[in-house]
Amino acid sequence: MLIVDDHQPFRAVARELLESAGYIVTGEAADAAEALAAVAADAPDAVLLDVQLPDRDGFAVATELAAADGPTVVLISSRDADDYGLRVAACGARGFIPKSKLSAAAVAALLD
Amino acid sequence: MASGAVTALPTRDAHRDPVLLLPLAVAAGLAVGWLGVHERIAGTRIAADLALSWALIGASLVVLERPRWRRARWLLAATPFALLGADLEWASSHALWTLGFLLEGLWAAFLVQLVVTFPEGRPWSRPARVAVVAAYMLTLGGQLVGVLVAPDTRDMLSVTSSPSLADAIDRAQATAGACLAVGVLFLALQRVRVLGLPARRAQGPLLVGTAITALADLVWLGWVIGTRARVPTLENTTRAVAMTIPVGIVIGIGWSRLRRPQTSELVVELRSEVVATMRERLARALGDPTLDVAYRLTHGRYVDADGRPIELPQQADRAVTAVSVRGEEIAALIHDPALLDEPALVESVRATAALVIENERLAAEVRSQLAEVRASRGRIVAAGDAERRRIERNLHDGAQQRLVTLSVALGLEAARADRAAADVLARAQDEVEQAIGELRELARGIHPTLLRDEGLTSAVEALARRAPLPVTVESSVQGRLPDQIELAAYFVVSEALTNVVKHASATDASVLLEREPTTLRVTVTDDGVGGARITSESGLAGLRDRLEALDATLSIDSEAGRGTNVSTVFPCGS
Repeated sequence: MLIVDDHQPFRAVARELLESAGYIVTGEAADAAEALAAVAADAPDAVLLDVQLPDRDGFAVATELAAADGPTVVLISSRDADDYGLRVAACGARGFIPKSKLSAAAVAALLD
Repeated sequence: MASGAVTALPTRDAHRDPVLLLPLAVAAGLAVGWLGVHERIAGTRIAADLALSWALIGASLVVLERPRWRRARWLLAATPFALLGADLEWASSHALWTLGFLLEGLWAAFLVQLVVTFPEGRPWSRPARVAVVAAYMLTLGGQLVGVLVAPDTRDMLSVTSSPSLADAIDRAQATAGACLAVGVLFLALQRVRVLGLPARRAQGPLLVGTAITALADLVWLGWVIGTRARVPTLENTTRAVAMTIPVGIVIGIGWSRLRRPQTSELVVELRSEVVATMRERLARALGDPTLDVAYRLTHGRYVDADGRPIELPQQADRAVTAVSVRGEEIAALIHDPALLDEPALVESVRATAALVIENERLAAEVRSQLAEVRASRGRIVAAGDAERRRIERNLHDGAQQRLVTLSVALGLEAARADRAAADVLARAQDEVEQAIGELRELARGIHPTLLRDEGLTSAVEALARRAPLPVTVESSVQGRLPDQIELAAYFVVSEALTNVVKHASATDASVLLEREPTTLRVTVTDDGVGGARITSESGLAGLRDRLEALDATLSIDSEAGRGTNVSTVFPCGS
């Protein structure tokens, strides 16, 4: 899995959480450009993608990955899905997890 | 001589004033008339030339009252001399005949120049300039060539006498003259179309005269080209018709004078309430529908009647006349420069306007200040909104991110810890999640992300979903509205729903967003206990500045026992 979030401490915790659940974390990215480069380089099966990134928003990245038949995308945000309305459903992501509810079980529920 | 100042008698300067030319023109006319009689020229022809000459010199005197028409005045004064000069062809003297031949068409070129440069002496347009040059080339140039071959024994400049060549030159001149007449006709008609009302009033009769003369010329020249014969009756008629040009100039001036109202009538008219605005009253008094009134405020800026700032025009197609009271300028009239030709009218309107315009100016000043206050309030609200966005983003990027990371870390540790430690960690995580939830609500109240990203309908639907009672949302809003209106409408719905939840004891509520061509109407209705009103502590009262900055109106209908209806209307163009 690839973890995309501009907040380094969060990436570290997320990596630990995923790895302890048996996922292989292929890399981390702090913005959309790094994320797309890492997807091209490491071909992860899934991407844990923060909605709010410094260069582009996560919806745009998810849409681009979906159009290229790329990895499965799980969106995360410290906001609620409700704060984003229809954009969550429209961007081609597999699902949305509020960051505070992020757990191995929540990820597994979406990916399996 | 007794002591005292020697007062110089006013002298008339012949360089500036054609009035001295009047006796000269009369004398020249009489001399040419005598010549015609002596040489047995037809009386009708002599009469036509004298009538046209004297009409032109008469018009040049009437034009004296228009200072801006100086060049036109000189052309009017010069044309009769050219016309009478051409009549020297009647003389048996070789020298006079030759001079008369050379001058034959010059008067017509003068008339073309007069008409297409009227009134200020500058050609109206590039085609007008071409017409002037063509007229001089055709008349002076044509005669210069013609004099070399004219089959007349009096011709002193004849190189060869060739009747056929002279005839060809005549026909070429007639053809070119007909083309020029068409051109002048077109220019005159176009000029009538583009002139403003005051200028059309003063110049319209001249332009009509020009068009009639050009048509008469076309008939005459067409006849000459077609039959190769000069018919004196047609030629005389053409000259008689050309009198419509000086007569048109005089009629135009007379017409402008006739509609010049007396000062007393102006006072009545300018104070009349029949016509709504001072601008319209002044426009009517001056006969210039394009007139604008610029009120001068104490600090020197100009505003219109609604208090909106305006700049005084710099370009030549508008003129500005100041209106002053006791030496202090209180307003400026912006009008068609043609009105400068009626200085007495403008002066009487200006003097009368000074008596009645002061109240209007004060009202405009108050409106201007109100507009400034409103704009300033709008800027304050906008600055507040920008600050709200910044705070929301800081909360999200800062505290919220850290708490979220902490919450996930606690969850992770709880999964690894033994049961006792896991319980403590789980409780800590719950607390953190509650803090995150409260922080999220706070951030939403400060500036809702969904509103910024997806607009009013989506944001209001999210409000409805989060409300603890069923709320239906109906919206006819398509696309986005201005940020300030979206935000204000969102806050109105948010506050109204908060009131429903807190005070109405309602079982359901509805939100209606209606987009009309020039408004947005936001209505929040509930089926609760009613009896609500807006107190100074209520959240809706807190929105007052925001709504007033947008010219929005908020009303509440809340009869006891009949629910509450909060309605806000935002002016909002398409």
